[in-house]
This record gives sequence, structure tokens and C-alpha cells, in this order.
Amino acid sequence: MPDFSPDDNKLALKVVFYGPALSGKTTNLMQLHSLLNPERKGELMVLETRDDRTLFFDMLPIGLRGSSGLDLRLKLYTVPGQVQHDSTRKAVLSRADGVVFVADSQPSQQDNNATAFGNLEENLEKVGLDIDTLPMVVQFNKRDIPGVVPEEELQTRWAGTPWSPLVMAAALKGDGVIETFRILLDRLYTVIDDEFRLATDHDISRQQFVERLSRNNPEASGA
Amino acid sequence: MRNFEDDPTLNDLLSNDQLDRLNRCLSDLCAKPIALGASRPGADAVPVEFNLETVGWLSGGEHEQERQAAADMVGFLMMFVAKYRLAANLHHDATEAGYAELQRQNEALKASEARYRALSDQLQQQVDEQVSVIKQTQQELYESARLRSVGQLAAGVAHEINNPIGFISSNLRVAREYVKDLAEVLPETPANQDLMADFNDLLAESIDGAKRIASIVSDLKTFSSIDQADYTRCNINSLLTSAIHLVQTEYSHGLEIVERLENVPEVSGHPSKLSQTFFNLLDNAAQAIRDAEPDKGPGRILVKTLIQQGDIHIVIQDNGSGIPEDQRPKVFDAFFTSRPIGSGTGLGLTVALDTARAHGGRLQLDSREGTGTRVLMTLPIN
Ligand SMILES: Nc1nc2c(ncn2[C@@H]2O[C@H](COP(=O)(O)OP(=O)(O)OP(=O)(O)O)[C@@H](O)[C@H]2O)c(=O)[nH]1
Ligand SMILES: [Mg+2]
Repeated sequence: MPDFSPDDNKLALKVVFYGPALSGKTTNLMQLHSLLNPERKGELMVLETRDDRTLFFDMLPIGLRGSSGLDLRLKLYTVPGQVQHDSTRKAVLSRADGVVFVADSQPSQQDNNATAFGNLEENLEKVGLDIDTLPMVVQFNKRDIPGVVPEEELQTRWAGTPWSPLVMAAALKGDGVIETFRILLDRLYTVIDDEFRLATDHDISRQQFVERLSRNNPEASGA
Repeated sequence: MRNFEDDPTLNDLLSNDQLDRLNRCLSDLCAKPIALGASRPGADAVPVEFNLETVGWLSGGEHEQERQAAADMVGFLMMFVAKYRLAANLHHDATEAGYAELQRQNEALKASEARYRALSDQLQQQVDEQVSVIKQTQQELYESARLRSVGQLAAGVAHEINNPIGFISSNLRVAREYVKDLAEVLPETPANQDLMADFNDLLAESIDGAKRIASIVSDLKTFSSIDQADYTRCNINSLLTSAIHLVQTEYSHGLEIVERLENVPEVSGHPSKLSQTFFNLLDNAAQAIRDAEPDKGPGRILVKTLIQQGDIHIVIQDNGSGIPEDQRPKVFDAFFTSRPIGSGTGLGLTVALDTARAHGGRLQLDSREGTGTRVLMTLPIN
């Protein structure tokens, strides 16, 4: 749910990176932190990890200011993918405005993808969110690993869903990370503009919304 | 309600003591004292930023540069404090949600348990109903078998006895004529006269006895009604009389039974069932008299028929032992008997009640322990 405080004209949105364990959610967020140069960017908070695995969550705040003075914040979270951290996942997922589902492209991980997606559906329902109207992007990560499930096969499989086409990524190298994020921003804009009239009241067009929140960082060249 | 992700204020991050201590440390480090606070104290204060949020304002210090350096350090420190806060808040949220979930599950479990209990109660009720149907059927079977066997026996006995008692009776009458003839031809000695008188008495007694046998046979035939269709016109008074005779026979004619039978119309009914019922009620009454305290005086059974409000009322009343209060609700239960095992089936009152109902009538029982019992059976005139 967008959190709007009229007093300080502040709109806080929440995007959650969801997916099976080790699919690359944290890697996506770390890449966004270094690749992006949005108007405003906070610290990447990697809360707690053990052997590279998220125990609580990671969080990266970014933001922009509208000409109306609107203070628009976007907080990007990752959840812990390991099965046993379900209550944490649920707590992080609650009040989400958008979801990036990071799937693992390796053939051995397809079952885990499906289980995690089922878990997402279940938890969305538990926290009172509707998967059919929630802005969401599905990313298949780790395309750089040899022997991954071919893209064509994945695209065909997901063709009938609202999340087609899928985004292919190799987060470790930064490939597809910003593209994924931009598609999410685009879908998010549709919903947020409906409710908060970003274009008419705050002079923030769809293109500006996406562009100003996902500008490339010139220092992180090569990506 | 605050969520774990809500932006923390300076107060959320540091207690007053901690803030004081931080200010002391910063002041020691800087050339001039430093003050960190939640609100902006003056134009030259610098904001302490953390995650795009201004969490506080820093003032004092010797110059702008010193203030800025202190503010950066505080921002850096805040990140670790905030991390801890975030983690703690998330833990709290997750635990709370987990607890709420547990409670929901518990409620759901309770609800389903209640459903199962209701279901099991329902099942129990169905079982009870089935059991009562079975009991009822069993009882009816038992009764009809008993009735049939009693009826068959009675019919058999009646048939077997009817002929011999017929010729015994007529032979005895012929014999009496012969004795009369003999007396005329015998010499009139006192001894002969005594002999003849005795002979006459013997024959008279025998004729009387044979007559009684014939009447018992006739009662048996009425009682068994073996030759009658299921429902016929029944003369209640004659059914009652037969039953009374049979009970008297069973109790060696030792009962005092007072009959006050009004003229009542015939009703359509099942004669053998009615007979059986009357017999059972009379038998109960006779038992109650026998069971009564010995110092209670002579026992007496009153049998009445009368017409009241278009119904036939049949009253069988005794001044016997009565039914104890605690047993009264049970007296209509099939198989209940207050008597020692073997002396009765306990079916008496149930059968009576069923028979009354089957004839569109009612059965009412008034009893007081030690005083007696009054059974009123009401049958509609039809
Ligand atoms: N080859 C390859 N490895 C990747 C890629 N993305 C992530 N990894 C690796 O996969 C491992 C897990 O990545 P994370 O980003 O920590 O995974 P996660 O989804 O956050 O995992 P959890 O926190 O346990 O849910 C790390 O060793 C990453 O380096 C990728 O695109 N290609
Ligand atoms: Mg992670």
C-alpha cells in the first residue's frame, strides 16, 4: 500500500524482491545500488547474512522530488529466500506496492521456483494483496551459467500469464537488472498515477518517473 | 500502528541518555561543544541525514566544516543503530504475525472441533433413534410372539378341553338322573339315604366344577381371540371380565376384585391386544397388592368402565404397594420391571401404553408409594 502523508507531502512506495533461496535477489539490489543514479539514493542496508544468505532483509531507499514538492520515496527490499524464514518473508511482503520475482534459470532450480511462486501467492493472500492487480515483474536470473533452461522454453511456458514476457538477467554481471527494474517502475506508475495523479497533480509523467528513478550511474561504467 | 519499515525518528534510534552521551563524545572531539537534537535550533545547524530522511539537526562546533564532519559521523553511526532497530522491529512484527496466525489456527481448530462434536452428537442422536426403533420393534416382535404362543396354547387347551368337558358335563347330568332313579329302587334304610345324599352332593359339586372349567375355557378362547380377525367390534366389558377370571385363576381366586362396569358401546379394536393389556394391568395390580405391607389391611382391586366426554374410561385401581417416585418416569420404559427378575417381563405398562395409543386412546398412571396405583385407559368411541 502506498503510504502518503499529506502533512509533509511524502509518498512512500515499497518494492519487494521475492524468489527462491540463492536466486540472486540480494545481488539484484546490490547491482541497483551501484548501477543506478536516481535523484536521491540512500545507503544499501544489508541487514544480516550468513554464508551469503539473507536472514532478515536488504533495503535500498531511493527517491525523487516532484515540482509540486512531492517527496516520493521508493524502498527496495529483498526477502530471505530460504524456506524456514517464511514469517520474515510475510512481514517484509506486507504493504508491498510492487514485486520483482527473481527466479533461478538453472534446470535443477525449477521446482524451487515453483514452490517460491506458490509461497508468494499464498503470502500475498495472507497479507491482503491481490496478485492480479499488484504490479509485478518476473526475472529469470543467472543466464550466464551454462546449461540453463532455454529462454524460448521459459517464455512459452509463461506466455499465458500476466507476467509475460519474462526478463532474462545475469545479475552478477549486472545484465537485465535495470531493465527488470524499469519494467517494474512502468507497471507501478500505472497503479500509483491512478490513485495519486502523479502526472496531473505533481507533474511527474510516466517517462519521468521511470527515468528519474532509474538513471544510470556514470561512475559505474561498463554496465 | 507503526510498521517495522516506518522511518525512525531520533527518539526511536537513541534514548535521551544515549543522546546525551553522544553529544558529550562529539563535544570532546570538537573544538567547541556540539548539540544533536530532533528539531532545528538555528539557521546554521546542519541536518543529519540517514536513508534520505533527516533524523536530526546538529549545531555548535567551531565552524561549518566541523559541524558537517560531526553530522557525517553521526549519520554513519545511525546506520548501525537503525539496522538494529529495523531488525528488532521486523522480528517483533514477524513474531506478532506468527502469533496471530497461531491464534487463527487455534480458532479454526476449535471451530472444527466444535463441528466434529456437533456431528458426533448428531450421530449419537441418530444412533439413539435407531436403538429406540430397534427396541420398539424387538418389543413388538416379542409381544406378538408371546401373544401368539399364549393364544395358540390357549386355543389348543380350549380345543382339547372343550370336548371332554362337554361330555363330562352331560354325563354328570345323566348320572344325576340315574342316581335319582336308583334312589327310588333302593331300600329306604338310613344308611342308603346317607349314601344317596352324599352321592348327589358329589355329583352336584362335580357338575359345578365342570361348569367352571367350561367357563375358563370360554375365557381362554376370548383371551386368545385366535379365531378373530385383527380388528373387530370389541365388547370391552366382556374382555375385562375374561381377563378378571384369568387373573383370579392365576391367584387361586384369592383376590378381591370389585367390578363396576357400566354399559359401554362396542368399539373397533384388537381384542387379543386389549385382553392382554387388561390382563397385564390386573396382574400388576394383583402383584402390587401382594407386595404391599402386611399391616395395610385387605387388598382390593377396583375395575370400572364408564363413559366420559365421548370416551370410554377404563379404570383399574389397586390399594397395593404403589410405585416409588424415582421409578415412576421409568414405568413405561420397555423391559423395565421393579419386580425381581423372572417374575415379569416389565413389558406390561409399555404394551398397555402402546395398545392405548394404537387404539387412539391414552394411558394415565397415578401412583403413590404405599397407597396404591390407579391406571386410567381412555379409548375413543368409534
Ligand atoms: N553465476 C551467477 N551467479 C549469480 C547470479 N546472481 C547471483 N549469483 C550468485 O548466487 C548466490 C546467491 O545470490 P544472492 O543474491 O545472495 O541470492 P539471494 O536470492 O539473495 O539468496 P537468499 O538471500 O538466500 O534468499 C551468490 O553466490 C551470487 O553470487 C548470476 O546472475 N549468475
Ligand atoms: Mg539475499
